[in-house]
Amino acid sequence: MADDLNRIRSILSTHRRRLLERANVVATGIGYKETAGAKTERLSIVCSVKEKVPAARLSAQEMIPSAVDGTPTDVVQTGIIRALQVPTDRFRPAPGGVSIGHVGITAGTLGCWVIKNGQKVILSNNHVLANSNAAEIGDAILQPGPFDGGRFPQDHIANLTQFVPISFQGEPSECQFANAVISVFNLGCRVISSNTRYQVTKAQAEDNLVDAAIATPLNSADIKDEIFNIGPIQGTVSGELGMSIKKSGRTTGFTTGEIQQVDVSANVQYGAGQVAVFTDQLLAGAMSQGGDSGSAVLDDGNRLTGLLFAGSETTTIINRIENVFSALGISL
Amino acid sequence: MRIVAICFVLLIPVLALGDDPGMSPSIQDVKKQNEAQLLKMAGVVSVGIGLDSKGNQAIIVGLDGSHPETESSIPATLDGFPVVVQTVGSIRAQ
Repeated sequence: MADDLNRIRSILSTHRRRLLERANVVATGIGYKETAGAKTERLSIVCSVKEKVPAARLSAQEMIPSAVDGTPTDVVQTGIIRALQVPTDRFRPAPGGVSIGHVGITAGTLGCWVIKNGQKVILSNNHVLANSNAAEIGDAILQPGPFDGGRFPQDHIANLTQFVPISFQGEPSECQFANAVISVFNLGCRVISSNTRYQVTKAQAEDNLVDAAIATPLNSADIKDEIFNIGPIQGTVSGELGMSIKKSGRTTGFTTGEIQQVDVSANVQYGAGQVAVFTDQLLAGAMSQGGDSGSAVLDDGNRLTGLLFAGSETTTIINRIENVFSALGISL
Repeated sequence: MRIVAICFVLLIPVLALGDDPGMSPSIQDVKKQNEAQLLKMAGVVSVGIGLDSKGNQAIIVGLDGSHPETESSIPATLDGFPVVVQTVGSIRAQ
């Protein structure tokens, strides 16, 4: 038996390349020959093919010989062999749970597909699709995100359609009265040749409910209306204390947790020292890391309950899906 | 007519109870009244409603690290509701 195996190994190594060159062959190996669906005790050279084709439709070169150097062959249909995909890969069509991002960011997570004005659009965070307020409507969205090798134009999947602006603390005020008063002050400063100038800032920024944005796909064939490693969404549910939850994200993949706090108000740090206050959030234990932002959060019944956007070493902060839907005028 | 009158009389105490100024506030009300003050304290990054170790509804205050002064100045209860202080680390957009 061992002699047989070694002899066939050397035959296979001689002929492997020629066998794999045939258009339909995807793999070669050594195994027991099957005849009429039953395993025999004869060792054979197994050729795996994309699909079994009747001999009459094959040319002499395409045909796998019934034996190679006296060793029988066996042909089995396995289909195309693909590397298992990870969330940072390019997906077409693209499901929720995979890498995505505005051209100007690193990468976040495509949350899920939702409906805006009768059309399917991508839901994720403002800081993933709209670069934390810095983007313009119509900007290109890449899948995978730039950090995962996404490039324009080949990975351009959608265009930014709408985002809910994030109100940061200490940013310039849009209050016209206050700005008018200050411009008079600054005029005075200029008159007395002082270099000092004043600016009105929001001491108390408005509270935020969501970090959310949507993007419209360039091609409806790129839509895969389910979540990677989870499956299709089965409606929505309001998050409650003690609820078991799960998500599928770009960085940590599929993880589970539990809603430990509701009615959460939190100071959330964005890059460059910006802080934004969020209210009416859900808080779970650690179930995410950088790059998981934008993940759809579901309950045990695969009902959508939130949009993940922030976290610390021990916590995950989630927007309530009802707040996301009403802020953007979207539905499932 | 008499039945309507009786119903009205029966309703009076119910209505009066609803207007009782002594009714205790909910944990949501208490959290709302105190959260701005709590979020201004050094190191406080979150305030929410969860459960304490005994399973009672509690106001949970999250800190970004060790802040002995803040910890000692947060009361153990607010309007009768337990307050739990946890170190959660900095909360960042992910």
